[in-house]
Amino acid sequence: MQAPQLPTSQVEQPKESRFSPYQNNGGTCLALAGADFCIIAADSRLSLGYSILSRNTPKVAQLTTKTCIASSGCNADMVTLQKYLKFKIQMYLHQHGKEMSTPAVAQMLATTLYHRRFFPYYTFNIVGGLDQNGEGCVFSYDAIGCFERLKYTVSGSGHALIEPFLDNLVAYKNTDNKPTIERSCDETLELVKDIFSSAGERDIYTGDFVDIYIIDKNGTRYEQFPLKKD
Amino acid sequence: MFLTRSEYDRGVNTFSPEGRLFQVEYAIEAIKLGSTAIGIQTSEGVVLAVEKRVTSPLLDPTSIEKIMELDSHIGCAMSGLTADARTLVDKARVETQNHRFTYDEPMTVESCTQAICDYALQFGEEGAPMSRPFGVALLVAGVDEYGPSLFHTDPSGTFVKYEAKAIGAGSEGAQTALQESYSSSMTLAEAEVLALSTLKQVMEEKLDNKNVELASVRSSDAKFKIYSTAELEAVIERL
Amino acid sequence: MEASLEIPKGGFSFDLCKRNAWLESQANYGSSSIIKKAKKTGTTIAGIIFKDGVVLGADTRATSGPIVADKNCEKIHYLAPNIFCCGAGTSADCENVTEMMASNLTLHRLNTGRECRVITAVTMLSQYLFRYQGYISAALVVGGVDSTGPSLYTIHPHGSVDQLPFVTMGSGSLAAMAVFEAGYQEGLERQPGIDLVRAAIQSGIDNDLGSGSNVDITVITPEGVQRFRNLDKAEPKYKSKNPLFYPKGTTKYYDEIISKVAIIEGDAMEQ
Repeated sequence: MQAPQLPTSQVEQPKESRFSPYQNNGGTCLALAGADFCIIAADSRLSLGYSILSRNTPKVAQLTTKTCIASSGCNADMVTLQKYLKFKIQMYLHQHGKEMSTPAVAQMLATTLYHRRFFPYYTFNIVGGLDQNGEGCVFSYDAIGCFERLKYTVSGSGHALIEPFLDNLVAYKNTDNKPTIERSCDETLELVKDIFSSAGERDIYTGDFVDIYIIDKNGTRYEQFPLKKD
Repeated sequence: MFLTRSEYDRGVNTFSPEGRLFQVEYAIEAIKLGSTAIGIQTSEGVVLAVEKRVTSPLLDPTSIEKIMELDSHIGCAMSGLTADARTLVDKARVETQNHRFTYDEPMTVESCTQAICDYALQFGEEGAPMSRPFGVALLVAGVDEYGPSLFHTDPSGTFVKYEAKAIGAGSEGAQTALQESYSSSMTLAEAEVLALSTLKQVMEEKLDNKNVELASVRSSDAKFKIYSTAELEAVIERL
Repeated sequence: MEASLEIPKGGFSFDLCKRNAWLESQANYGSSSIIKKAKKTGTTIAGIIFKDGVVLGADTRATSGPIVADKNCEKIHYLAPNIFCCGAGTSADCENVTEMMASNLTLHRLNTGRECRVITAVTMLSQYLFRYQGYISAALVVGGVDSTGPSLYTIHPHGSVDQLPFVTMGSGSLAAMAVFEAGYQEGLERQPGIDLVRAAIQSGIDNDLGSGSNVDITVITPEGVQRFRNLDKAEPKYKSKNPLFYPKGTTKYYDEIISKVAIIEGDAMEQ
């Protein structure tokens, strides 16, 4: 055994400081697809560290009459990405003379994200809406454009709290006795409120308000639901 | 029409005082020298038919390719300088594939035609892909979410939708014949026959399975298909 | 282990530095971490001196990273009958330091036969924390009333001490201090004093994500101590219109065994 040495920390170590362009502004996004509707929601709290920067900064944006996007992550990137998507969707309307379908928006978002593979938008997105057949659809993404069509998904700071809850209550992965009747739009809306109020209890980055978009054959309806402010 | 030649027919990007671009007009004239091509749209799909000019018995007619696939649901027939069409077809193929890549859906026939026409106008200036107008006209046929459709493009970059259209040397006669015989309620099988019989009328040679090419896009499966010799013979027998 | 067998010649021993460095390096291996993440109380604690005594206040949220670990924990600890202490930092450190100090102060009272002075508690705490060089992560607000009158101190984890008429600590300290700076006056009456501390804690609860839930208040005067647990309560949780219900048979089971259990009356230990 060697004789103990003096700790190296007594010597001044060189300091390295790197450009860090990202920040995480927290927040939770959620989307649930039904047979002929889709609910997409996100809380409106904008935070950094232990500070609340805003209590009412929307994370959900309506892109077309039947498509919405919800994003969490770095707010600056979210705003820019959503603006860029709106621009591309408008250009598509001009070029092809029709509104983009939800799956087309979903694919375009994936290519948009992957185009920035090596300097990504620090955003975690969810696209929800109705597809060409009027069926509810939800798409879930990582920050660099890997995506998947699902029946439900959640992303952001409350993800780890909510996902198992949805596996249980929406996919019925806990049981073989699945209910034969699907959850109605109103019941799903109530479930979304339950989920957000529960996540708000335990996740410090989820709170203030939930912006809820309900998309069905009649169009898109918006509802705001209050959460605890602490 | 062009009896009064002037200095203005030299530049592709110079208007004459009467407001004409002669090089574009000449390019449109070039199409009238091309072999005849016909397109007919029905509710069951779209038919394309072209005449192949087999100028020598030693020529292998299968090497004359005047109908081409743009995407699995869109095809086109050409008349004029067919080599120029290659460039446009390549562009259309890239555009339709790019649309699938970006939006995960097939491009509409109109958008594809628009993309071709945008490209057809890019001639003349420095760095453009072409120094002169493209001397070719296309009949773009396809099936999309709006159903079957047929478009005609010319070297001016203009495109127009048609129910039935003939282009090329025999186009005047063929168009008149189509106007007389076309009915919007006709079946695809009837359209196949009408396309070939119209071609037959305007062709100098006797129509056979070597000197025509036939293709269609059916509404049922939205798939473009060039007819094999056997399939072509089956249609010729129905004439 | 030659080194440790030698008799130290004096000064500090750095024998454990290597071990600590190794432990720290292990901590970076994610889930196989040897050093577990501690429960922290990202907290708002505060205190003021008013005309007759001291008011201490605290929120009741305990967090573990971004997760709320406890929605109604107690952060105002007993040190002596006339001295209380609010703790911020690592919960375990705050609880153990205050509990140990409460015992030591009891011994002190028994040995001296006198009521403890606040400065005694503060000095003992500060010396203890200094010995551990900030590794005991406890930021304290100590308040009490003794023979010298009311007094209020803060102690930082490294052992430094401040004596002030109004103090705040924890992640919500800025939010709370803003309220104090705006509203504190010397010689406040009891109720306005309590209300000011309540407002300061509420400001931390509202504006600091590390603080939340309810307001606890402790008032210490020469006449005695009054403790108000959850003086202000957070709004109740949203009540679902469709409460969860799992019908019997939701969880699949493969076998069912029913056995009769014989219950023998009396104490088994007697046999």
